Amino acid sequence: MVMKNPKLAQGTRRKLVPLQVLVPVVSTVIALGIGLLIIAATGASVVEAIEAFWDGMAGSDFNIGASINRAISLALVGLGFIFASRANLTNVGGEGQIAMGGMFATAAALHGAGGLPLGLAFIVPLAVGTVAGAVWGGLAGFLKAARGTNEVISTLLLSFIALPLVYWSVESFHLLRKPISDVSSLPESAEIPDSTKLPLLFPDNGSPLHIGLLIAAIAVVVVWLVLKHSTLGLRLRAVGLNATASRRAGMRTSFYVILAMTVSGGLGGLGGAIMILGQQFYLTSDFSSGYGFDGLVVGLLSRGSAVGVVIGALLFGFLRSGSINMEISAHVPSAVVLICQGLIVIVIAASALLTNRTVTR
Amino acid sequence: MIDEHMPVFIGSGLRLAVPIIFAATGEMLSERAGVLNLSLDGMMLMSAFTAALASWATGSPLIGVAAGVLVATAVAGAQAVLSVTLRANQLVVGIGFNILALGSTTFLYREIFGPLSRDPIPGFAQLNLPWLVHIPVIGPALANQTGLAYVSILMVVVTWLILKYTSFGLAVRAVGEDPRAADKAGISVARTRYLGVLYAGILAGLGGAFMSVADSNTFTENMTKGAGYLAITAVIFGGWNPWYTLAACLLFGFATALQFLVPALQLDVPVALLLLLPYLLALVAIAGFVGKSRQPSALTIPFERGG
Repeated sequence: MVMKNPKLAQGTRRKLVPLQVLVPVVSTVIALGIGLLIIAATGASVVEAIEAFWDGMAGSDFNIGASINRAISLALVGLGFIFASRANLTNVGGEGQIAMGGMFATAAALHGAGGLPLGLAFIVPLAVGTVAGAVWGGLAGFLKAARGTNEVISTLLLSFIALPLVYWSVESFHLLRKPISDVSSLPESAEIPDSTKLPLLFPDNGSPLHIGLLIAAIAVVVVWLVLKHSTLGLRLRAVGLNATASRRAGMRTSFYVILAMTVSGGLGGLGGAIMILGQQFYLTSDFSSGYGFDGLVVGLLSRGSAVGVVIGALLFGFLRSGSINMEISAHVPSAVVLICQGLIVIVIAASALLTNRTVTR
Repeated sequence: MIDEHMPVFIGSGLRLAVPIIFAATGEMLSERAGVLNLSLDGMMLMSAFTAALASWATGSPLIGVAAGVLVATAVAGAQAVLSVTLRANQLVVGIGFNILALGSTTFLYREIFGPLSRDPIPGFAQLNLPWLVHIPVIGPALANQTGLAYVSILMVVVTWLILKYTSFGLAVRAVGEDPRAADKAGISVARTRYLGVLYAGILAGLGGAFMSVADSNTFTENMTKGAGYLAITAVIFGGWNPWYTLAACLLFGFATALQFLVPALQLDVPVALLLLLPYLLALVAIAGFVGKSRQPSALTIPFERGG
């Protein structure tokens, strides 16, 4: 019986591939179920909590817009994550890249960009923020290429360096802190000029949804094309799979390592710039709080697919908005959602053995 | 001017260093066995909360510490199952546990204590060791510590002895450098790594419990504020050596305490620079610009027999 049973082979293949999709979906559903159980255990009304959750996510044009705006930055960080992971690099420094992007975008918006014509008023700060994030990510790439430094540790450390820098910039009057003559003297920057704020997509219905959505959509398509349908994507993959073989094949592996981390960081920086220019309008020391890890989780959940990043970012954007409203109206601590997120990450990491095996064979 | 602030500065520097010393010492041993626990911060946070809760419920800080250590060890056990047996990505699992720890402690704290509770919980008293007070300059700061602070130094000595003089220590080093050879020599890679991770859990638990029942006598949301990451940084900066790691922890503790000293001395140094200093030093160290520190060869790499 040497002949294989084609029916069986086909059947197993058809069963195995969707595991990539099945695992994130099942673990998300289980985690959300556990979240509901926890809410029920506190004695709060589950129905009321779900209602408040739903209201916060999508109860009005404003809430939908706010949720999607949240998802935009998460998607960009997630895209950065999968771009780097294509070269087998793990960028866990999204938080720092967002922070640098947001800080430099604020600086550009406050100092000079406001008077520029033709939309350059917001394009320049976006570009400046992207470059800042790219430098921060590229630094980790450089250390990896030049010194062999583990990029997980270096991106993490770079995040812990970036956050105090933002704190410094809003604490110091020489830097970005608004003058004390204002009514409040909180450590935050002045509001950016109106011309530097991202234009709204639907200015008439009160939705805060802005053109960041289009920027993110373009980024999704570009990253998808580069990773799946370009020589660059193939080379990144080759370098990630076997650096030595790639080098023998004539590729400059250092270049691709630095490039992957630079692009990855740049997407995070763009996400940070969009947060400031699109919704927050002034810099605070903890404006990036939680976005880096959320974006990282989005990247992980997507298993390297740009479409997966979009789905994950929307999921987390809506979850976050819902959880905030749930805390306000139904008095259920929003930390429940953190518990769910943590569980999702752990379960997906735990099942990597299962899914990776079925993919490679 | 400096004289009056010095004892306070040294005292707070030491107190800030103790949790990091605990966590980093345990983490160092685990990393020598090849497992990096990014979940260290989560273990500490869970322990800090559990210790506060148990101490508050029973009135005994000792029971608090025991409960905290137990919970941190349980988290470590879960981390070990995932990263050793299931060969999951150690870093991803660690981040997952940290998110879970932040979520669950914040949630439980609000449910049990209420959102703005600052009620002090039963904690340890400072020992005021009479024979230490008389040392010039550092004496008062050294003497006015809780018993747990001295335990942290004891654990550094114990860990050093384990690594250097016991067969388990030899196994740890072998498994971290060349798991395949260790396996061929009859050492169980999985068992050694499990024990290493659990050891890290116990010490992280002590560090977390120190924060709530010995240092501040209260629990606050996210009270570790990244101390676990700082501990991992100290291990890297200390080149995976117990004594250098201890030195790195002390350096980080004093660097953090500088943010209280500098304003008191009316120096114009941005606090932010002091906050990022430990991480910058660690980045410089890990990039290999300072001395020669080499990480265990099999760090973060799962072991698969015969694969």
